[in-house]
Amino acid sequence: MASTLPAVAPTGTEHRPGPVVRRTVGRSVAARVRPWALLAPALLVLATLLLWPLVRVALLSLQDYGLRQIVTGESSWIGAGNYAEVLTSAQLWQVVLPNTVGFAVAAVSCTVVLGTAVGVLLASLGRLARTIVSSAIMAAWAMPAVTGTYVWVWIFDADRGVVNHVLQTLGFQAQPVNWFTDRWSFYAIVLLNVVHHGFPFVAVTVLAGLLGVPRELLEAAEVDGAGAWRRFFSIIVPQLRQVFAVVIILSTIWDFKVFAQVFLMPGGAGTNREVLNLGVWSYVESFGQNRYGFGSAIAVLLTLLLLAVTVVYVRTIGKEEL
Amino acid sequence: MSALRSRRPSRAAQAGKGVAVALLLVFTLFPAYWMLVSALDARAGLGSSFVPAEPTLEHFRFVLTEGGFDRFLRNSAIVALATVLVSSLLALLASVAVARFRFTFRTQVLLMVLVVQMVPLEALVIPLFVQVRDLQLLETLLGLVVVYVALALPFGIWMLRGFVAAVPVELEEAAYLDGATWGRMFRSIFFPLVAPGLVATSIFSFITAWNEFLFAMTLLGGATESYTVAIGLRSFFGQHSNDWGAIMAASTLITVPVMIFFILVQRRLAAGLTSGAVKG
Repeated sequence: MASTLPAVAPTGTEHRPGPVVRRTVGRSVAARVRPWALLAPALLVLATLLLWPLVRVALLSLQDYGLRQIVTGESSWIGAGNYAEVLTSAQLWQVVLPNTVGFAVAAVSCTVVLGTAVGVLLASLGRLARTIVSSAIMAAWAMPAVTGTYVWVWIFDADRGVVNHVLQTLGFQAQPVNWFTDRWSFYAIVLLNVVHHGFPFVAVTVLAGLLGVPRELLEAAEVDGAGAWRRFFSIIVPQLRQVFAVVIILSTIWDFKVFAQVFLMPGGAGTNREVLNLGVWSYVESFGQNRYGFGSAIAVLLTLLLLAVTVVYVRTIGKEEL
Repeated sequence: MSALRSRRPSRAAQAGKGVAVALLLVFTLFPAYWMLVSALDARAGLGSSFVPAEPTLEHFRFVLTEGGFDRFLRNSAIVALATVLVSSLLALLASVAVARFRFTFRTQVLLMVLVVQMVPLEALVIPLFVQVRDLQLLETLLGLVVVYVALALPFGIWMLRGFVAAVPVELEEAAYLDGATWGRMFRSIFFPLVAPGLVATSIFSFITAWNEFLFAMTLLGGATESYTVAIGLRSFFGQHSNDWGAIMAASTLITVPVMIFFILVQRRLAAGLTSGAVKG
């Protein structure tokens, strides 16, 4: 049938490595309908459960939507009222936005620096040591966010946590400290949690990239007298530009969205308003205060923020990937 | 010449590397180790010691019987398996479409699949809560499965696409020449070759559903009977003090299957996340 027709030259894929071959299917109706028939179930699910809710959250953000509206199904439009309230609130500018953006910047930097260092370390290890270290890294990566967060909470627990215990035994502090009440130490623990969980992906990806850097390049540079730092910044970094771009952007997207890691910490679920970030704020306003419209407006802002990062991401990988 | 010889690391460099590896191992493994130690220690929460002071399996027994965690584990397993079955099937069909056919809007569909992965769950949870409520599926596992299928689908399509593209077209064409229909070719040639990718994708979907917390908390509400493991953990938090031994035992039960699965798919996972954009 269709496959016996002469193939039309594929467009724009000539130089792509790997076995990406596209079969150009003929003109029969069946052949034209088939991709859409295959796509239909998935598209239906994505449209009703991801795209329509996105439209819906934008619509909700323009309404005064509370318990009454949920029950009766009626709507009361208030235009940009929710946005006006969000954007003029001191909570946003003094607490929530610094917590969200500041945390993301700190977390991405730490994750990428540590991950790269570990990737370089892995590349220099022998076979056995590399297997051991990368398995340990996998264990950190595999720890679910929920249990991981509880373990860190337990480690820093105010009454019986091991950190307080050790610090007291060593004489650094006389009394146990509650690390969760102060905004800075709270986010320091979140940072530890997120970096611990996030650096393995960077390390594994950078390692894969490093193994692809031509050996001759590094050896030539060494013969020319370039030291380790020089070799890293002058050869490896430019060679891995694409790798770093992807890793940084994906980490940024993930670190803007941290939810469970904040929500499950003592005071993180809204009781301590000093530690709210955009995601948690949206959630506690919606489901805690039954102000779904206001919460939606916050959620839309978070989505727009992430969309901006995503556009950069798509641009970075777009040309060769799609 | 000396430059070449410097490739052999000095003793100081070797020692430094050893220290770095040791520190790294401590940092990566300590939380998992501490979880396990606390889960196995009868005195967990009474004193901090780095090995179990009184080794016991009592916390595990308590969690699985009185704690009701057996039920939560079963709920999570049901939800995760249902999610895997449905999302893998849908992802397979869709990935064949985008990897094997050129059609109008193909790029747009792929772009959409990529972009929806970035949407924060916090933005979806409000409208989906209202939608699931309208369908009268709040407090049911089915409602959760429906949402998880949607969450697992985009990454599944994105990842399977590569596996599908890697199946040689010549094999398919040979099947056609031998008179096979498209359906026959799909079953006998295509499916067996894509199976490894399907396994990797399934494990990823399983982990997504197993770990998910936000929707489980929101959609299940007070229906303790239907709790999944991620929110079942909260039942061990007391008003005044927390039963840390039980919490850590339950956490261990949640984490172990994920770790096993993770080690099985580790290479595919890193590749799938960056897929092609990173040339190794």
